[in-house]
Amino acid sequence: MSVVTTTLIQNTNGAPEAVIAYISKVVKLWEQFIRGVEKVPGGSLVLNYIRASHKNDPWRTLLEVLLALVAIRYFFASKYSQDEKEKVHLSEREVQELIDDWEPEPFAPPLRKEERWELDAIPMVKGAAGNRVALEDPKTGNIIPNLLNMASRDFLNMGLNENVKQRAIKTIRECGVGACNPMNFYGTQDVHVRLGEDLARFLGAEEGIIYGQDYCTSTSVLPCFLKRGDIVIVDGGVSVALQKAALISRCHIEWFNHNDLDHLEEILESLQEDLREGPLNRRFIVTEALSENFGDSPDLKRLVEIKNKYKFRLYLDETYSIGTLGSNGRGLPEVYGIPRSEIEITVGSLAHAFGSSGGFCVGCRDMAYYQVLSSNAYVFSAALPPYSASAASAVISMLEEAEEPGKVNRYVKPLQDNTKLLYSLLKQSRKLQQVVSVRSAEYSPVLILRLAPALRKKLNLPESYGGPGSDVLKAIKNGHEEGYFSRDYNRENYLLQKMIDELIGRGVLVTRSKRVLHHELLPVVPTLLINVNAGFTEEDIRHAYECIEDTLSTTLSGLDADGLNQLVQQLEETNNIL
Amino acid sequence: MEKFVYTRLPNAPEEHLSEKEKMDMEFGPLSSKDYLYEVSYDPNQPLNPAVDEPPYFVVIFTYLNYLILIIIGHLKDFFGKRFMPQHFEAVLPKNGYPPWYSAFESFYPRRLKKRLDDCFARPIYGVPGRFVRCFDRISPDYNETFLYSGELKPLLNLSSYNYLGFAQSIGSCTDAAVKSVEEYGTSSCGPRNQIGTCNLHKETEALVARFVGKDDAVMFSMGFGTNANLFTSLVNSKCLVISDSLNHSSIRFGIRLAGAAVKVFPHNDMEKLEQILRESISQGQSKTHRPWKKIVVCVEGLYSMEGNLADLPALVALREKYKFYLFVDEAHSIGALGKSGRGVCDYFGISPSKVDMLMGTFTKSFGAAGGYVAANQEIIDRLRLDISTNVYGESMPPAVVTQISTSLRIIMGEINGDEGKQRLQRIAFNSRYLRLGLKRLGFIIYGVDDSPVVPLLLYAPPKMPAFSRMMYERGVAVVVVGYPATELISSRVRLCVSASLTKEDIDRILTICDDIGDKLYLKFSSGISGGEKHPGDYKKGVPPRWSLKEVLERTPEDCKKPTY
Repeated sequence: MSVVTTTLIQNTNGAPEAVIAYISKVVKLWEQFIRGVEKVPGGSLVLNYIRASHKNDPWRTLLEVLLALVAIRYFFASKYSQDEKEKVHLSEREVQELIDDWEPEPFAPPLRKEERWELDAIPMVKGAAGNRVALEDPKTGNIIPNLLNMASRDFLNMGLNENVKQRAIKTIRECGVGACNPMNFYGTQDVHVRLGEDLARFLGAEEGIIYGQDYCTSTSVLPCFLKRGDIVIVDGGVSVALQKAALISRCHIEWFNHNDLDHLEEILESLQEDLREGPLNRRFIVTEALSENFGDSPDLKRLVEIKNKYKFRLYLDETYSIGTLGSNGRGLPEVYGIPRSEIEITVGSLAHAFGSSGGFCVGCRDMAYYQVLSSNAYVFSAALPPYSASAASAVISMLEEAEEPGKVNRYVKPLQDNTKLLYSLLKQSRKLQQVVSVRSAEYSPVLILRLAPALRKKLNLPESYGGPGSDVLKAIKNGHEEGYFSRDYNRENYLLQKMIDELIGRGVLVTRSKRVLHHELLPVVPTLLINVNAGFTEEDIRHAYECIEDTLSTTLSGLDADGLNQLVQQLEETNNIL
Repeated sequence: MEKFVYTRLPNAPEEHLSEKEKMDMEFGPLSSKDYLYEVSYDPNQPLNPAVDEPPYFVVIFTYLNYLILIIIGHLKDFFGKRFMPQHFEAVLPKNGYPPWYSAFESFYPRRLKKRLDDCFARPIYGVPGRFVRCFDRISPDYNETFLYSGELKPLLNLSSYNYLGFAQSIGSCTDAAVKSVEEYGTSSCGPRNQIGTCNLHKETEALVARFVGKDDAVMFSMGFGTNANLFTSLVNSKCLVISDSLNHSSIRFGIRLAGAAVKVFPHNDMEKLEQILRESISQGQSKTHRPWKKIVVCVEGLYSMEGNLADLPALVALREKYKFYLFVDEAHSIGALGKSGRGVCDYFGISPSKVDMLMGTFTKSFGAAGGYVAANQEIIDRLRLDISTNVYGESMPPAVVTQISTSLRIIMGEINGDEGKQRLQRIAFNSRYLRLGLKRLGFIIYGVDDSPVVPLLLYAPPKMPAFSRMMYERGVAVVVVGYPATELISSRVRLCVSASLTKEDIDRILTICDDIGDKLYLKFSSGISGGEKHPGDYKKGVPPRWSLKEVLERTPEDCKKPTY
């Protein structure tokens, strides 16, 4: 190194002495630094490397130094440098002006006056909701007693069953009402464990786990097993819960036409090439065993064949089919004679046929165990109230005890008979055929009636609302809350509500789909829903049928676009008075 | 060992307890009126106390612990997958099917959490009240499976969110709930908007609204579901949500589902929040720079892992200035905080009208289940028709609604005389006593004095199972939490105080903690967050290390003083 110093000094002959002194000082410091580096273990190796490379290619050293500088700059740069660049530079005064000017939209969009009727249309039940129910008129406070309850989803009429009630009361007397804790922190009561076992045994699965609410089950289970990069193929008619579950998984979503297994196969075929080449990601087919919106089931046998052929896993939502389909209420697989092990994930509700509340998921042990670790609604929420678990267990044991080979379970049979009867009555009614179509299948305990296509045309109503490309979806994309409202959708719903009100006057309570357009990704058609119950007699069904037929045909058969306008005008006027 | 014969959870053995014994197991009788305290908020005191830092070697050893655990875990995975694939079925592809979950994303639960699985999900029987009864169990195979003896072990309960002690199977709440089942049945029948609204819901919602001081309220059958499905009805992609970094997972889930833009501010850092607000409002949406349609600031009233309170006075001042909407999640604070139990607004003496939306749950203080949202009439009217849980999900079952209304009436003093008031004063005393006692013993404790959540810092991960098991052996049930619920190094045990505990119970807990604290080497507070023996000790560098005897003698009186 001293050679450098001497040459430097020699070359600077004639320069002012101060400069020379300065340079020699810098060089000395540099030498000290180099010596320091040599003392560090491995330091001499680094120096030799740099010297050698410099000898071969001085440019390379320069390049490496530059690279190192860029790396250091990148390392210290803020994470948000991209945002920083986009930022407009504003003075403090400008910022303050902008803040003063800013006016937010209302927290929640206020109800329009033409939507207000929806609030009043929520039925206020007075007392228990069995298969007979009393309603309270929200305006007058009058009680309308003894209505035939065709709105409840307690299909097997278990909610008021004495045996179920006694089991629930026994648990309240032992454990109190709330579980007070998440399942993983002392929230697991013995009754929860029992219910998990009961569900697994009843449905023929390895393990069952329980959620606090049915609606939250899917949005929590599906994201456990689907992440970015995975694939899910979803039936194009599924309920909102499943739509949102697929959405929040952030995986790749494909939709197949509702219950159209040919279309499903087509999609799978078209995906084959990508799948073969890509990594082994997780793949699911998601569908409902009994569709909430259409009231029909897929051909499970073929579905299972397809998913096995393409090595997809099946996620089956049995919210409506558990307790109602199959001779013992074991759901769609029982109808087709398919073992539960063929269905990788089954979710369902305890709040429907099981006459309790909460949701559940059954399947293999590994899958259930992973939910215990990482399913949001399981880990971060309090456990189901123990008495609700007991009530559901009680219903399962009743169903199991009443099981007889070759026979339909005596708790399920009345429901299935009533369903069949009401379906055939409604389907065969000449009067009704002109005004409504029965969308649900003959086995669905929820009868789904839509306005007939011809009538829709006559009333100038669109075929469906929302869905891809619709104004509502555009409004969501642009954040225009005003655009969430659809005038026609409101009018059609109001028309349906008019008929429900009429039917209440005749002693029958039915309901309708109250779907919120801006929550739905798929097209929506408003429907009348008639829920059958195991507790009805044949006379009840016939009576309900007569009322429904008469009300619907009288309201709808003479109705045209002008008539609907008048009806809606009437609605706006009444609201003006209010 | 021989007695652990059941491979599946056995039924609970028959019990022969008198009504009185059972009642005392659930809710301890008050031994003296001295052990009551009425909370009051002093605006001159700093809201959240200074955070105590552990000594450096503790931090280093904690990281070392993780390093060793992670290395061993990876070694086990590496060799296990090759030589014992039968134990790795869930994370390995099989017959052309991908694994259920990837080995990488499940590494933490499989390799670290599994080691302490015996401390989680201990099955219990009966009321999680003053005592909780656990099924005694052991694991023969490192927590893969458990064996049960069929016996129940009663443990003093510091684990349940049973703040006001309403988890009871005897008393007016239970009687009302039983009557409710008899009359209304067990089913929730369907969504609120279809058939699930009965007179019970209407009355109770009005009661909740009155209690929290808002126009109206709407209830849902699940607390997590309340937040998870609320935000899709309030915000969209053109709205901004500014969220505290320690907000509960349900809030984060809900915001994600709504697709709103999110900014996060460091926990309780009001200066940073203001900075974000100024910048967000002036800059507008990213790229387009259009003004945000709405800005919502989400905080929790009481943070369940820290025991800290939201700085509500500062938030309310900011709200006036910046016109954002303030959302407060009172999951833990409702019922447990404030002179009359009405949550953080009550505690700080701030009018609830200054907060745009109050959300809370019924799981904790009310011994029930579910959640609520309370706001102005206009907002609630919209939410009733719009929130997806209300429209698509099941309604709250009748007995739960009854439990809520009965416990609320007790808290409000409408029934059972001053029982409600006494419960509130008991939890206030118990919280302050336990917290000050532990601080004086030398533990690092987070949170404000009046918070019923008392986090005791453990740091090193192996201390989590050790603490939990030692407490279990000595008859106390506690919850240990570590990463990812907390920061990596600040593993802790979260003690949830309840009004059902007596002063003597807390004496016992302090005694046990003192013993375990010595054995596990946990006492390393510096005194910065309180517990000094003589005023000014911290400045002199004298850490609080009181003897147990002194703590038990002096703390019950001292903890009632406004500052300690």
